[in-house]
Amino acid sequence: MSSTFQTIAALVVVAVAAIWLVWRMLEKRKNPGCGGECGCPSSEIKTDLAKLGRGPSS
Amino acid sequence: MSLPPHISAKPAFSTSRLPTYALVGNPNCGKSTLFNALTGLKQKVGNYPGVTVEKKIGTTFSQHGQPITIIDLPGAYSLAARSPDEAVTRDVLLGRRGDTPQPDRILCIVDATNLERNLYLVHQILDLGRPVIVVLNMMDLVAEAGLEIRASRLEQALGVPVIPCEAVAGRGLVELRVAMSRHDLPLSRHAWDVPGPIAPAVADLQASLTLNDGKSPLSARAEALLLLTDLDSLRVAGSTPLSPRTNEILRTWQTRWEGQGTDWSAALVNSRYDAIGRIAADVVVHVGETGPTVSDKIDAVVTHPIWGWLVLGVVMTLLLVSIFTLAEGPMNWIDDRAALLAELVKSAMSAGDLRNLLTDGAVAGVGGVVKFLPQILILFFFIGLLESTGYMARAAFIMDRLMSRVGLNGKSFIPLLSSYACAIPGIMATRTIEDPKDRLVTILVAPLMSCSARLPVYLLMIAALMPGESVSLGAKVGLMLLMYALGTFGAFGFAWLFKRTLLKGTPPLMIMELPPYRLPKVRDVLLQMFERAWIFLRRAGTVILGISIILWFLSAYPKASGHVTPADQLAQSFAGRAGHLLEPVIKPLGFDWQIGIGLISSFAAREVFVSTMGVVFNAESDKENTAPLRTAMLAAKWPDGRALFTPLVCLTLMIFYVFAMQCMSTIAVVKRETNGWKWPIFQTLYMTGTAWILSFIVFQAGRALGF
Repeated sequence: MSSTFQTIAALVVVAVAAIWLVWRMLEKRKNPGCGGECGCPSSEIKTDLAKLGRGPSS
Repeated sequence: MSLPPHISAKPAFSTSRLPTYALVGNPNCGKSTLFNALTGLKQKVGNYPGVTVEKKIGTTFSQHGQPITIIDLPGAYSLAARSPDEAVTRDVLLGRRGDTPQPDRILCIVDATNLERNLYLVHQILDLGRPVIVVLNMMDLVAEAGLEIRASRLEQALGVPVIPCEAVAGRGLVELRVAMSRHDLPLSRHAWDVPGPIAPAVADLQASLTLNDGKSPLSARAEALLLLTDLDSLRVAGSTPLSPRTNEILRTWQTRWEGQGTDWSAALVNSRYDAIGRIAADVVVHVGETGPTVSDKIDAVVTHPIWGWLVLGVVMTLLLVSIFTLAEGPMNWIDDRAALLAELVKSAMSAGDLRNLLTDGAVAGVGGVVKFLPQILILFFFIGLLESTGYMARAAFIMDRLMSRVGLNGKSFIPLLSSYACAIPGIMATRTIEDPKDRLVTILVAPLMSCSARLPVYLLMIAALMPGESVSLGAKVGLMLLMYALGTFGAFGFAWLFKRTLLKGTPPLMIMELPPYRLPKVRDVLLQMFERAWIFLRRAGTVILGISIILWFLSAYPKASGHVTPADQLAQSFAGRAGHLLEPVIKPLGFDWQIGIGLISSFAAREVFVSTMGVVFNAESDKENTAPLRTAMLAAKWPDGRALFTPLVCLTLMIFYVFAMQCMSTIAVVKRETNGWKWPIFQTLYMTGTAWILSFIVFQAGRALGF
């Protein structure tokens, strides 16, 4: 693997990580929910809420 | 075998509409345990009151396989809500929540060992005119308490199905599911005598609530009774204010009663208790001796003014000793695997940015945090054990003596305790606190309790501060205890200050139920432990991985021209420049720009400090082999050759982490719970300001003393 290819691949990974972190931050701003992972309902409860057509309780 | 009268032999729901059940009851009567047993979910349960502060929704199935929705509501002693969590229960039951339809039916769960007290809420709920099923939970403890409950008599008295149950062991669930499957659940036939002089007031308010507030007649009667019991329209009406006409009627009756000099509100409560008392006398039979129970005997020691503190100290020490001793092997194993993985990548790939990203960014960053997983597991296993047995409520009782002296509400204990795991559920648990000022004080000080995200930072610093096997375990445990104590007493100190300045209020009283001791439910404890482990790993695999990748980029770019050492490259990088920018502020604390990079990145989450150190010091390392982070940190120097991580700097850094507000998620939750940015900004400033001042004092005093 050439050095140039490695640099391009690394920068792509960095860009994806940055876009994902920014997207995550914006999502949290739009729908703060429980503020973070610690106090959030379990995925099963989220699925149930989705099935019932209701957003997570806030 | 003949079926009890409430069990229908007919097929269940003929309609296609799914019924919704609300699950309500007093705090700590087993609602969440029953909810989990019915829905198969893993909602957090604990043997202490106030675990559920928000409604949770799940699905169970009828005897014919049709889905039934269940809403698990926070515990309440009465429908007259005094705290935000009780308001959730009241609003859902009265159909006031826009996001939740009014439940069709109500599952009223009661602690069979405290039937009379639990029946007060049941009695109020029967007024709502909805089909109700009463679940007599904890029947296993009834005999132990020397009691016998005549369930059929209770069924006759209330006129609704009564199902004896042991939710924790799954007993009675079949009968309950069958009763829930009935589509013809009866309405209660129970009638109680509202005192004669109050009846016209009830009728007036009921009529106005129906006409002017759009309530159904039965719901209006229940609300009228609540209004006349509480005489506080704000507390009863919550966020849906009453019409001016209803308010006027309420005020008129209030004035009239005040003029008569008779407390008719108390009379209304008493008449309800009289009705409940008559039912309880008929239903509850005392069959055994009523001497002190096993719980009473244990409590004589663990809630003793002196022995109680001793027991608490022993429990905390045992917990921390276990964290240090039991976790060592698995931690080394994870460390070795991370190093092996880095070596594997290095041997498989030629030198270049992608290889560096994988080894110095991803593996060093994530591996540095993941190695603390065994300690997180041990911490939550012990917390789960203490919660499950009922000891936590005793710890609250012991601590209340101290907390009340600083003006903290006794109900603050559970939120503060939860904050040792994570401040977010702790802040959400403050919803059980009735007084808004007490609640705000608790929210402001909760993040000072040392959460599990600080654990990796403390452990890394202790490892750097006390390297080698020569240092006794006692010293390490003692230092860790000191950090936990600093956070706890810091929280008490600030609570004392806030209660005397910004948020003055009357000294609060603590009324807390001590649940009976129970053998820990290993399944619940393990579930809780693995759930926390999963949260920890998920964070490591997502946010921390993402931040580690960005940090690698920030520490590797822009590339310095010519052949430079890794240390020079880091100094010239974006991260290095940011660290240098911060250095003048943190230099008086003994921290250099490299630590500054860690402090900046910690604002995303505290444990990111460890991964940042992993990225920074691995990036700086000249060696091809990935050195243990501790060794790399101990080798770090100031430009004049002095060691960077001296024992004094490590101690100062730990103290900084005890007090600094470095968690964006917590700030977001405080903003939501306080409805604005004012308090989260204040909290960030006072905590981080305190962290800087205390760190400055410790470092400068330590240096003056020659450390």
